[in-house]
Amino acid sequence: MTTTDAIVSVRGLTKAYGGRTVVDHLDLDVAPGEVVGLIGANGAGKTTTVECLQGLRRPDSGSVRVLGLDPVRDADRLRPMIGSQLQESGLPDRLKVREAVRLFAGPDAVDADELLERFGLSHRRGYAFGTMSGGEKQRLFLVLALLNRPRLVILDELTQGLDPAARREVWASVTQLRDAGTTVMLVTHELDEAEELCDRVVAMRGGRVLDAGTPAELVARHAAAATVRFGLPAGRPARDLAALRDLSGVADVVRTGDQVAVHGDRSTIAHVGAWLVGHGPIPDDLRVEAPDLEDALLTLLEGPADQKEAA
Amino acid sequence: MTAQTLTRSTETAVEPTRSRRHPSAGRRLLTTELRLIGRDPMTLTFVLVFPIVSMLIIGGSFGTEPDEVFPVNPSHWYVASYFSVVIGATGLIMLPVRIATYRERGVLRRFAAAGFPRWSFAVAQMAVGLTAIAVSGAVLLIAAAPVYGVPTVEDPAQVAAGVVIGSVLFVSLGVLLGTLLPSARAAQAVGLMLFFPSFLLGVGGPPPAVMSDALADIADKLPLAMVTDVIRQGWLGLGDATGTLATVGVLAVAATALAARRTAL
Repeated sequence: MTTTDAIVSVRGLTKAYGGRTVVDHLDLDVAPGEVVGLIGANGAGKTTTVECLQGLRRPDSGSVRVLGLDPVRDADRLRPMIGSQLQESGLPDRLKVREAVRLFAGPDAVDADELLERFGLSHRRGYAFGTMSGGEKQRLFLVLALLNRPRLVILDELTQGLDPAARREVWASVTQLRDAGTTVMLVTHELDEAEELCDRVVAMRGGRVLDAGTPAELVARHAAAATVRFGLPAGRPARDLAALRDLSGVADVVRTGDQVAVHGDRSTIAHVGAWLVGHGPIPDDLRVEAPDLEDALLTLLEGPADQKEAA
Repeated sequence: MTAQTLTRSTETAVEPTRSRRHPSAGRRLLTTELRLIGRDPMTLTFVLVFPIVSMLIIGGSFGTEPDEVFPVNPSHWYVASYFSVVIGATGLIMLPVRIATYRERGVLRRFAAAGFPRWSFAVAQMAVGLTAIAVSGAVLLIAAAPVYGVPTVEDPAQVAAGVVIGSVLFVSLGVLLGTLLPSARAAQAVGLMLFFPSFLLGVGGPPPAVMSDALADIADKLPLAMVTDVIRQGWLGLGDATGTLATVGVLAVAATALAARRTAL
């Protein structure tokens, strides 16, 4: 991807507050149609980065281009093309849902009633913002973010405060956006959300990129081994376990009393499963611990800085 | 609705015909803000109810005959004075609290991110302030009419200039304070601290004739007292206040310039 193709192109972005550097020479590209997640601990600079993309913060140095425009200089042209769901932002308490939609709807807005229906808010049209639950407020913010057919959607802490059903509904909406070719940037602490929705994730710490790639790539590079645990079936000689060590992908087999733990890469899960089926009986207490993005991020955050400098 | 309908096609170049009739972002914001002031308890309490109730109480406390303290009917003195209570309450309490609340809750960030022009929020708040003053001032006079009567305006030009320029001064001050104060609580505390001394010394409290020299000196220098003097003197025919009006005008220009600089979202 060249920088001219990119929906978002950031080079050397640096931003400090009161002498504390929050974003530190960040490079980032987002291709058209990508769903990119920014993940990392609190204070990693994720929100500041997306605020710079929206022109809400002026970078101290570096170059930022969004849809080919400078977010600060071209703010009036750019902002209507970005749908934003901002962290820690609200609406006037006494503003009603239908009034909010009317306020934010530009000339090219979609049918707001259909959007409200889709996000389960049509029965709340006459309700004031201050009377809505946290989940309803988040869904309203999503409606407002999608109202004007944005080319780039920035979602900061998208599902914060949502119940599991509402989360799934919102995830389905983001998936639809991706399928329609909309570029989405997701800032999230919910790593299952990033794993489910993102084509690519960018792990950040201290304002710098630690690593970037598909969730599977990050898991493969940084997550701990997979583990399969089971109780030793009655009557099985312990020496059989030696055969497990020879299976592809297996790194170690540990026996503690009658409990067995087989460690290895992700392929271990399949090979051990096949072995158990082939050498029955299958243990009732079989458990699989597969590494996920959370494991990968924790490993990354505990590791040395400057593992990777561009995303 | 399909996902395709939610997104802007990069190939779409034809503007829908309805876009020509669609209200601008600034106009939508103004309409919404004007609708919201009627639901704001701070506005209803301090800008509408408080001036009327206190005017009705104090306006009947000194009788209706002029004396050595009041050069005109005391009730009329207070009816003419209380119009600027509305101006002061709008600028020193309503607007600072409203704007600081918006900032504190991230409403302004949301407006900015959604592409509302930088000037639109400030203009909307100024319009809200001026509308609140006009409506509350009219209701004040309607409430005063059957009880004390509304005195004849002796110098309409001076009264109109005092109301307009005084309103611009305090609305700008309100926007400025709202952008400077860090939270709604701070805005409320500072606003009340500025409003009540101004109200008691310069507008709705004891008449200047019974004040000590020190208090009268302080009152003379309060912007709200200056606005009151211009309106009251023109309204009741108590003299020319061109000099005071000029001072109010200079303050209004300065406050408006500062507010304009501070209101970039």
